[in-house]
Order: sequence, then structure tokens, then C-alpha cells
Amino acid sequence: MTNATITTELPARRSVVSLPPWASLGILFGLVSTAAIALYGPIGVSGTYPRLIGAAMRRVAPAYAAANPYLVKMGSLITPETMLVVGLLIGGFLAARLSGAPSAPAMEYVHANETTSSRRWWNAFLGGVLIVFGARLAGGCTSGHIISGITQLAVSSILFGAAVFGSGMLTARLIKGGR
Amino acid sequence: MSLVYALLVGIAMGALIQRVGASSPRMILASLRLENTAIMKFMAVTIAVGTVAVYVLSYFIPMHFDIKPTYVVGVVVGGLIFGTGFAVGGYCPGTCVVGVGEGRRDAIGAVLGGVAGALVFTLIYTLIETPLIKPMNYGKVTLYGLLHLPPVIVAIAVSAVLFAGSALLPTVTRRSIGGRDFSPTR
Repeated sequence: MTNATITTELPARRSVVSLPPWASLGILFGLVSTAAIALYGPIGVSGTYPRLIGAAMRRVAPAYAAANPYLVKMGSLITPETMLVVGLLIGGFLAARLSGAPSAPAMEYVHANETTSSRRWWNAFLGGVLIVFGARLAGGCTSGHIISGITQLAVSSILFGAAVFGSGMLTARLIKGGR
Repeated sequence: MSLVYALLVGIAMGALIQRVGASSPRMILASLRLENTAIMKFMAVTIAVGTVAVYVLSYFIPMHFDIKPTYVVGVVVGGLIFGTGFAVGGYCPGTCVVGVGEGRRDAIGAVLGGVAGALVFTLIYTLIETPLIKPMNYGKVTLYGLLHLPPVIVAIAVSAVLFAGSALLPTVTRRSIGGRDFSPTR
């Protein structure tokens, strides 16, 4: 009798444990993004970059900072979003150190033109310029638009997500030519 | 208190992004080349869980919703530029910060590039505001507003589509799990 209950319970347990990482971690991330909206507001990242520019400008060129409508609109660096970005740095560090998995490589080469580490570095830099410029133009990035925007069922975020994956897939295909 | 909540949310988010491999440019490129869709499925499940959770919770507690305005030209052009950068660098504005935390050297390049991109945007904002941000601005449009349905119903439908897509579509479509390796040393 007890044996029978054990054997019927085991497969059910195993199927829960064997969820692929994208599913189990996705469920957790969904709960984290829900908690953010319940506690203070949707998650977001990319606004921190111009706020950093604003904080620097207010020191070196206060007259320009006060006259630039975008810096005025974005406001102070002391916001929840800045704290979230600090958290990303800490979370990435802790997860890499504490997980016991092999540590991340210092560089991953993803395009055929990345024949030296400096070419890879400049591709990452150029990518960085484009993602933050594009995110600021659209009003959000993967976190603010795609994750929390579509979570809230915003039409702008669905448009943004379609544009990002459309041009991302096309660009990845066009760059591929080298090899 | 919001600052403390946001810090904790950031730490959890950073750890999840690191563990799923979204801070790896190779995984991002594998997604965009449709070689390994694990990161896209991760995002789909995140949204599928979140959208139902936030609109169910909204019946019980006040939620801090913030819907972004639909200014079609800026959102689409911004998305196209973002997608290009996403494929070139393999990072997004948050994953490169996680990458710096876990010790990736090119992630520092992406963060510095992001600062440069924000500087350029700030400097030319007054020039692009009229042609790109002001036209076709429909304000805070939502899917449930367009459909005239209760939010939770639309949330359940969107969630079902995302869950079904994630469960049914293949994760690995090529043998090179995690994308091809272009490392010059190999």
C-alpha cells in the first residue's frame, strides 16, 4: 500500500523538477516583474543611461543641463530604476560566483568579423550605442518595453518587440555572410 | 522604500538573467539566428506569468501600472535601431550590466557604448522630437482597451498563446547548442 503511493507520486515530482531552465527561470522572472509592479512600478533599465548623462552634465555644464528638455524630463539619478541597475550588477556577480557553474568567458565571439578581441570589443561598443539610442527613442528597452510593457498589454510595447526581433533577426542574417 | 524594493528586484533579475544565459552574446545571437530559442522562450514565459499575475492581483491590491505611450514612428524606428544593435553586440541595456557583474570584458564596451548612445540622443533630442516622437502619438493604448474586454481576459489569452508557443516550438534547431563559436583561437 505504501509502496503503491510512493510509485505513483514519484513521476509527478520528477516532471516538476525536470522543467527546462527557460521555463522555471521564466516563471520566477514573471513573479519578480509582478512584484515590482505591486511594490513600486514596472521594471526598466535604459532610462538610467541618460540620467547618468544628466548627473554628469549638471556638474560640468549646469546651464546646458537646465536648458536641455530631455535631461530635465529624465530628472535625477536617484530613482528606483538606478537602484535596479545597481542590483543587476550585484545579481550578475553573485549568481556567477555562487552557482558553482563554470565562470563566464571574458569574451564570446559571435560574428565572423571578430578576428581579434578588440574587434569583438568594438562590436559590443557599437551595439551598445545603438541599443540605448533606439531604446531612448522608443521610450524603453527589453525590460521596460518588452517584459513589463507587454506584461501590461501595452500596444506600444508589442510594436517595439516586433520591430526589435524583426530587425535583430534580419541583421543577424546579414552579418552572417562572412563565414 | 521604493529604492530598496528596486535594488532587491534588480539583484533577483540580475541573477535570473545570468543563470538563464541571457547575458551571453552567443545565446542572444543563437536566438536571433533561430538556432536556440531558449532566451526567447524565457521572455515569453516571463510575460505569460506576469500578465495574468498583475491583472488578477489588480482586483485585490492597487498596482503601480505605467503604460508607455504609442507614438508609432518613434517606437518602431527606435525598435529597428535597437534590433540592429542587439544583433551587432549581443547585449541589451540590462544584460550588459549583468555581464559586467559576471566579469565579461566586452560587456564593459557595451555599457560604455550605451552611455555614448544616451549622450548622442540627449544632444540631438530637440532635432528628432518633432519628426520622430510627436507624430502619430495615440497615447496610452492597451490591447484590452482596443478590444473593449476586461484586462484579465486578454491577459489569459495572451498568456495561453505564449505558453503554447513556448511548449510546442523547438528550442534547439541546430546541433550547436548555444550558438556557433567564432572564437579566433579555435
